[in-house]
Amino acid sequence: MPKRKVAALEKIDADFASLQYKIRRDPQSYIDDFRRQWNQYESQREIFLVAPTSASAEATESFHNLVDLVAHVADCYPDETRTFPDDLKAIISEHHTVLGPELREKIVGSLMLLRRKEVIDSASALTCLFPILVSSPSKTFRGELFGKILGDMRNSNAKAINHPLNRTVQTVLYNLITADRASPRAIWAIKLTRELWKRQIWTDAKPVDVMREACLADNEKVVVGAVRFFLGGDKEREEIEDESSDEEVDLSKIRHQMGINKKSQKQKKAYNKAVSKVHRHERKKNKPHPLNFSALHLLHDPQEFAEKLFTKHLQNTKAKLSLDTRILVLQLVTRLVGLHRLTVVALYSWFIKFLTPRQQSVTSFLASLAQGTHNLVPPDVLEPLLQKIASEFVSEASAAEVAAAGLNSIREICARQPLAMTETLLQDLVQYRKSKDKGVMMAAKGLLSLYREVDPELLQKKDRGKDATIGLKTGSLTSRRFGEEDVGEIEGLDLLEKWKEEEKKKKRREKGLPSEAGSDEDEDKEEEDGFNSDDWEVDSDDSSDSGGWINVSDSEDEAPATKKRKASGDSSESGDGNNKDEENDAEAQKEKEAEIQRISKLATTTILTPADLAKLQELRASAAIDQALGPSRRKPGQESSTQRHADDGLTAEQIEAPARLRKLTKEEKVALAKEGKPEREEHKSTQAIKKSKKEAAGKSTSNREKARKKNFLMTLGKAKSKQKRSLVETRRVLRAHVDRSTRGGRKRNFA
Amino acid sequence: MGSSARKKKEKQKDFQKPKFKVGKAKPKPSNFTDTSFKAKAIVMGQQSLSTTAPDAVQQFKHSFSLASSSKSDKQRQEALSYLTGQLSTEPPVNPVGTRTLLAKLLPLISDTSTPVRGQLLKLFRALPAEQVRHSVETAIMFIRAGMTHLSADVSNDSIGFLDWLLDVAGEDVVSCPGGWVKTLNTFSAMLGWTATSGQNGWSSGGRSGPVRGKTSLNQSRTIDTLVKFLRIGFEPEDSAPPEPEPFLKSIYRVPRDPNAYAYLNLTGPRRDEDGTMYGDRETRQQVFHRRFLEPISKGADAIKKEGGTSGRAAAGLDQFLHSPEGMGDYEPSGAVDMESLMDLW
Repeated sequence: MPKRKVAALEKIDADFASLQYKIRRDPQSYIDDFRRQWNQYESQREIFLVAPTSASAEATESFHNLVDLVAHVADCYPDETRTFPDDLKAIISEHHTVLGPELREKIVGSLMLLRRKEVIDSASALTCLFPILVSSPSKTFRGELFGKILGDMRNSNAKAINHPLNRTVQTVLYNLITADRASPRAIWAIKLTRELWKRQIWTDAKPVDVMREACLADNEKVVVGAVRFFLGGDKEREEIEDESSDEEVDLSKIRHQMGINKKSQKQKKAYNKAVSKVHRHERKKNKPHPLNFSALHLLHDPQEFAEKLFTKHLQNTKAKLSLDTRILVLQLVTRLVGLHRLTVVALYSWFIKFLTPRQQSVTSFLASLAQGTHNLVPPDVLEPLLQKIASEFVSEASAAEVAAAGLNSIREICARQPLAMTETLLQDLVQYRKSKDKGVMMAAKGLLSLYREVDPELLQKKDRGKDATIGLKTGSLTSRRFGEEDVGEIEGLDLLEKWKEEEKKKKRREKGLPSEAGSDEDEDKEEEDGFNSDDWEVDSDDSSDSGGWINVSDSEDEAPATKKRKASGDSSESGDGNNKDEENDAEAQKEKEAEIQRISKLATTTILTPADLAKLQELRASAAIDQALGPSRRKPGQESSTQRHADDGLTAEQIEAPARLRKLTKEEKVALAKEGKPEREEHKSTQAIKKSKKEAAGKSTSNREKARKKNFLMTLGKAKSKQKRSLVETRRVLRAHVDRSTRGGRKRNFA
Repeated sequence: MGSSARKKKEKQKDFQKPKFKVGKAKPKPSNFTDTSFKAKAIVMGQQSLSTTAPDAVQQFKHSFSLASSSKSDKQRQEALSYLTGQLSTEPPVNPVGTRTLLAKLLPLISDTSTPVRGQLLKLFRALPAEQVRHSVETAIMFIRAGMTHLSADVSNDSIGFLDWLLDVAGEDVVSCPGGWVKTLNTFSAMLGWTATSGQNGWSSGGRSGPVRGKTSLNQSRTIDTLVKFLRIGFEPEDSAPPEPEPFLKSIYRVPRDPNAYAYLNLTGPRRDEDGTMYGDRETRQQVFHRRFLEPISKGADAIKKEGGTSGRAAAGLDQFLHSPEGMGDYEPSGAVDMESLMDLW
């Protein structure tokens, strides 16, 4: 549509932009002009409201311009424009379905502008826009509104958390979800909550509560959205945090550029910006890390929630959810069960019908089952499941992948609840370590090594291995009873104790005393001294003055200890006689008891100072590094299973993992071979490709290349003169060459 | 050379015999959709095949649509002049009705082209007065929009439109919803006479210095129209005793007034003080006294001092305001003034 021609004079008159500029410069002088425009706006609004659907394009455009103008200068005339925000709200909420896209965008934009100018507050703007977001039939408009609402939420939470606004919005979202559980409208509540959660604007329990309600909705889309939030929301949050911290600014580079390029105001500004950004980063680094609990941990009453989810979406045969959705819900339920150690007994018997190799995406079911197991699940509930898995999956007749998946899932279940396994079944399954297929073999070995650690008595004697046999003999390896828990202790406390002892010895040696304390009295005195004020503060401790560096001790320190242990092991292995074994046993027992006593004494009799705690942290870190680097490295498979965090869920890939060991297809092989090699569209040498790449990147040639490319005739003279050199000249040249090469060439690269 | 060879080949293509294939045709794929169709007649969308000229009604409608929606100024103006000619014949030709005509043409009041607006005023003057009365509410709305238009030309021409409307349906203009207060508001904004009370600063706002030439002329015209508007507003109601005959008739008949029960406001949105109806002289005087009398008399005084045509017009306004048919006979009765009581809340 061509625009109507506007006469030159009229153009000057009808220029809203210049009027706006003038008004903003001097509101008092232009109040008359504004009043006229305000009247014009009022009359246009009247005309528009008479027939919002059939308004002509021109009328709409002029109204659009007027709204824009008034919104921009509304803060200059608060009295005159008192009714303006309410007018806009009324128009947009009553006529948003029939308004043209430009006009409604302008109205929403103007509302947000008024909000930014603080003519209206966030709550009133959002409570107007949110119902429209939920009910608008236009997709683009919904997207736009969503962006606007989100932006406003972020802005109003940017400086400080705006608790009243957050509470209002969260309540609105909660009500939206609970008002009508079957409607798909709640999807917007989920989207908004997820986005704000991701950006760490909402981190408390209320949004989690909103999502919890959404999980129990009747609409499938809503359920999926909410469940996905619990399964992946926290990971998303971490990722975005990492991303934002990745953006590093290289100040020295910018400074260098400033030295070279022309100096301009723009560049100066850019530099200042970069400096402030670096400062902000540093400040952020120094700030204490905010405590971010995952959504699963913030959940209120997970037991009830898990039971409700299970009965509503899984157990209920009338629930019309697709298989994918059900798997997602199942993952959430089992995750909750595993994480919070809930007891949902019906869950395990429900699993039975899905545990066949023909079941679609059975590995997900297997992973969920393992995930939902913990050490408080009664073993007799799990036993039939294990039997079923073993009989359905693990047999000579079944395919290798199937058997491997079955064995892996059995291992994962038993790692969480070892008591579920029976002796005969285990001994049967362990036989598969002789399998021809690598996946099955590895899975069976994994199961074997697991039981060597947790309950070797179930294994046959020949399968137990050396360590387990010794452990059984000495009694240090005992199978755990149902419900038995580890005694809680401070991690690394023994290390601290050891370190303190050594320090004490060092001090005594410095004083010239024998390294062992003579009497109890002396020790007491020492301890008294230990509590001087110097040791209290973290910084005063001289051993930690190396700053953030961690002293990684050599493995030599570790070596004697292991050797000694080995020696003792050897001696017991050789088995001179029973009495010696018994002696060893008794000794070990005594040592252990003594140690326990000592540790408990340290934690209970003294107060750990901040300096102590800092040292403890340091020791813990160095011990972890020692363990990682040390000679007694564990097998890779086991390591990965222990390194996995307890809070992370188990996925189907981990059950299937060894399936990747099967032979690769040709495409995969080609892709693997091509990986990391230069792109080659045509047949060229690698050198040529590298060179063309270098040229494309704008880099220059090396000296060698230049010499190679040099015109032959230009080199001829030098070659000729070389032949005529005298012996002395030749010697000088050669010597100079040697000299040069020792110095590092003409450029003196070594200097 | 290559291109000539290609051309040769292309030329030869025309003389090649088509090769007919023997045997069965290739079977259609399973998802084949038959898109061929048969029709008895083919209708051309855009072609007019009539041999005779279109009749008057068609022509009227055509130029009506041109006038309301054409993009070209010239075309709009010509269409309007055609419509004016049709309306001023004896008897007038108007197949669409005055109401529709007004609904479509009123937005042209704020048209950017001056000749179009002039022609539009001529057209409006050709319309029958008693039918215009029914669309007064919309008309005054568009005229107000025109009066406050950013472009001075448009706002000055709108005064002409208001003149016309006051001529044909003055009584309805002042008594329709929003017709009194909003229009007065618009006048105040146009003349810059809005009350700036309570705001005292260095820059007091408003136009400063005398205005000359065309602007002055426009101002005097605006003031004249304001006087006319006020005169109609303050016209005393017929105090003649109602004749029994028509009164009795009107009791049992459907009223002939436009929008007879408008004061009940049964369907529309809630009206505020500006938008409400001021049906009789007294209420109009009350509102005028409360909101407009002071700034208008102040503004009129200022312009009177400047002299010239606008000064003369302002003097006329002042005179009218003090005369008994203006505000001369109005005594503010403070206790009865409900509106000011409402303001206390």
